[in-house]
Amino acid sequence: MITQVSQPVLEVHDLTVSYDQHPVLWNVDLSLPAGQLIGILGPNGAGKSTLIKSIMGLIQPTSGYIKIFDKPLAEVRSRISYVPQRESVDWNFPASVLDVVVMGTYGKLGLFRRPGKKEVQIAQDALDQVGMMAFSKRQISELSGGQQQRVFIARALAQQADLYLMDEPFAGVDMATETAIFQLLQDMARAGKTVLVVHHDIHSAMNFFEWCIMLNLHLVASGPKDQVMTEELLRKTYGGKLNLLTQVTDLIRKQDFNPLKS
Amino acid sequence: MTFDNNAFLIILTGALIAISCGFLGVFLLLRKMSMTGDAISHAVLPGIVIGFFVSGSQRSLEVIIGAGLLGILSTLMIDALRKRAKVQLDASIGITFTLLFAIGIILINLFAYKVDLDQECVLYGEIAYLPIDLWITPSGINLGPRVTWLAGLNFFLVTGFIYLLFKELSLTSFDEHFSSAIGIPAKGVNLALMSMVSYTTVSSFESVGAILVVALLVVPPATGYLWTKSLIPLLRLTSALGILIAILGYYLAYWIDSSIAGMMVAVAGALFFGSALVKGKWTMGIRGTSKSSPAFDS
Amino acid sequence: MEDFLYFFTFQDPSITWVVLGITLLGIGSAYVGTFSFLDKKALLGDAISHAVLPGICVGFVLAGEKDPRYIVTGAFLSGALATFLSSWLKQHTKLSEDSIIASILSIFFGIGIVALTALQKSGNPEIAGLNSFIFGNAIGIAEADLFLYGGLSLAILIVLTLFLKEFRLMVFDPGFGNAIGFPMKGIRFIFNVLLILAVVIGIQAIGVVLMAALLITPGAAARFWTDRLQPLLLLAAFFSILSGILGTYVSFVVPQMPTGPWVVVFLSLIALISFIFSPKSGIIKRFIARRSYLNKTHRDHLMKALFKAKEVNKGRMTLKEIYGLYPFHKKEIAHSLQLLTKQGLVIQDSQGVQLSSQGTSDAMRIVRLHRLWEVYLNEFMNIAPDHVHESAEQMEHLLTPELEALLEQRLNYPTLDPHQETIPRESHDI
Repeated sequence: MITQVSQPVLEVHDLTVSYDQHPVLWNVDLSLPAGQLIGILGPNGAGKSTLIKSIMGLIQPTSGYIKIFDKPLAEVRSRISYVPQRESVDWNFPASVLDVVVMGTYGKLGLFRRPGKKEVQIAQDALDQVGMMAFSKRQISELSGGQQQRVFIARALAQQADLYLMDEPFAGVDMATETAIFQLLQDMARAGKTVLVVHHDIHSAMNFFEWCIMLNLHLVASGPKDQVMTEELLRKTYGGKLNLLTQVTDLIRKQDFNPLKS
Repeated sequence: MTFDNNAFLIILTGALIAISCGFLGVFLLLRKMSMTGDAISHAVLPGIVIGFFVSGSQRSLEVIIGAGLLGILSTLMIDALRKRAKVQLDASIGITFTLLFAIGIILINLFAYKVDLDQECVLYGEIAYLPIDLWITPSGINLGPRVTWLAGLNFFLVTGFIYLLFKELSLTSFDEHFSSAIGIPAKGVNLALMSMVSYTTVSSFESVGAILVVALLVVPPATGYLWTKSLIPLLRLTSALGILIAILGYYLAYWIDSSIAGMMVAVAGALFFGSALVKGKWTMGIRGTSKSSPAFDS
Repeated sequence: MEDFLYFFTFQDPSITWVVLGITLLGIGSAYVGTFSFLDKKALLGDAISHAVLPGICVGFVLAGEKDPRYIVTGAFLSGALATFLSSWLKQHTKLSEDSIIASILSIFFGIGIVALTALQKSGNPEIAGLNSFIFGNAIGIAEADLFLYGGLSLAILIVLTLFLKEFRLMVFDPGFGNAIGFPMKGIRFIFNVLLILAVVIGIQAIGVVLMAALLITPGAAARFWTDRLQPLLLLAAFFSILSGILGTYVSFVVPQMPTGPWVVVFLSLIALISFIFSPKSGIIKRFIARRSYLNKTHRDHLMKALFKAKEVNKGRMTLKEIYGLYPFHKKEIAHSLQLLTKQGLVIQDSQGVQLSSQGTSDAMRIVRLHRLWEVYLNEFMNIAPDHVHESAEQMEHLLTPELEALLEQRLNYPTLDPHQETIPRESHDI
């Protein structure tokens, strides 16, 4: 059940991604519409984070390509915002909440230029949107998990992008924060932004996302929520890894090199 | 104990070097690359020797360029060992700097006829001599100690570097993935930082020696980190510590009649351990089990 | 040549002593260092080797001369203090490990230099020997000292061998060790003692700065060859001894060359060779495997082309047609055809090339695997028909007979691929 879109905001073409000499994502082929809140779902190790990182150019695919706004990544970076996983960063770093959010404006500033009043204003507006204005001078080492996540999202907002990619923004976050953030993301989608979120929980996914991508080492489904969240497709996604595919992956892993890499 | 012109020049030079090293060292600390900084200061030796050999003089541009290249080479070697050979980081650093330093020593012996590089001088320098080593222009004007000018140039370049690339340096130190995602080249910034470290090392080794350079790269930032939680105050505190170290180091060395560089290290150490005693948490296991210890629950 | 013989037949007793010394020192360091390396604390040894300098000076001052007992004790205490401070800082401040090690290293070493320069000024002629601690002087090790250092080295070896399983636990799973009642803290303490001892005796030969190489590089090199602890340790020791002897030899032949740096160079060379040639890390292995795989795929493609020609009833292809399929690859094609003929899979005659019956069977299998994989991608992974070809092009060379059987079963023996081409099977297969 893969719905393709004409004039997609994001197009993934026949993407195979390998990690440590064997493939972790097989032949993913999808296209996504603009202005929607889209969830990427799947069990652990399904390749959700890998997909996001490949879109952001942090991992080089073994084959296939990705187009964003119908262009390669390098040309449209300023229009894309990325929220990495929270634990990829050392929160003991000496920075205030405002410092981190201002970092979101660095992409548009370019080399050598310093952030000025305009950038600080953008950052403060972003903090306001996530409800963290009161914390702007606080050291990030003093924040709770939910607050850290909000800071990361504020940083993404400060990028003022059109496409937002978020890697597990709700991991380890309390219910109140989760609801608040989802509200914010829905507002963003309504305002025409496209928001792509790697998520781990099916139940909240059913309530919040408009479009869902289901991954299980390969693309199981991609389409409007109602069409995709069926029992059969959920079983295909979460009901264990494809035995054959796992065996093939093992076979490749045993080789001394990755034969899928040209 | 007098505060004469010589004392002033020596302290000034020491302070300039301390501040330059401190600024760079803060970023090494934040990137958890303090040992890499230590490694680079050893690894530049072959570059220095080759530069000396090529130019015939210890104090030449070739030496600086040689050192810079070696700094980049060692960074690349460490990276290659980690990524290609899958050797862990600490071992990669150890293997790289010992090999390069060993090659440097061998080169010194090989080129002994042309390269008069005293091994010991490289290691601990002698800042006390600087007032006699003057820069005299062709028209006979005495501009003061050559080494002081070098330290000043180094200070100017390092400060300029930090100022221009401040946001790039802080971002790549905090969140490499995000910086790559928004198009700031983390690898390039890293190489630039390591090149500055190599340049600073070699520019300073004549006066303070490689040992003091490492100590100044690592210890004042670590000391400052114990006291403050913000980046700009950390930079300020580190430079203040540097000046203090230069002053106290000079006078204590004068008093005991020992190497000034060595004394500066001792002072840095005393300040460091003193701060650790004062600021250290006296209960066990402050780190807890979670990576980030939350102060509040939202 | 005579130098070589003279050296290696050990006619000169002083050479024998030096080699013996280097060997003993090297084994101890390699053993202890490998554990450090596995523990991911490789640079702690580097810090300790710098940190012993103040202790050496103090020992010298107390003894009034270069008495090894005082010096070793002083060095040991200095190193112990440094180790203790490192742990303390790690537990009681938020400084990161690398920052702590680097700070301890430079502070202690700096203080050591202060002490050293102060001693040099005092004019005691014995001082000259102290310098050898910084840069190492294997040849300068006195025979008498050798007994002390050799004895210590032997002690290190014995302890490590006796308590091998305890140290292994310490490195890999101290939590488990605690759980089963082992005194992991005590074990860690003993290990640190051994490390400091190894450093103290090692720096005689190789000097303070390069000591880290003696600890880290043998283990790192050996790691490319084996995963198992005992062979790892033995191999590391062997590399260390080999480099020690070679380094001493160079020093012997070129008198002004110091030994230490050459030992490090040889160690690094061994590490490099290990990295490139060892089957485990597989650089060469990977290169060869990839090459032979590419050759196989090339042959497979040729067979497929011949099979497809057969499918449209052409029977055989001329050499010209084959070359036309893969322009610019004449040499490879000729080579592949040669091998295929030798394997009895194709028959070449004046009119062209055709598949033998075995060749037809093999080629059929490849085509079948290709089309089966296309069906799998299309049906099980929802991939559009026009996107399945490339993946199948690669998988057709890889799939084993077991996987083929699994595929057939899963797909229920399909007759057509997504492009409506027949999936060829031998009549007896169904």
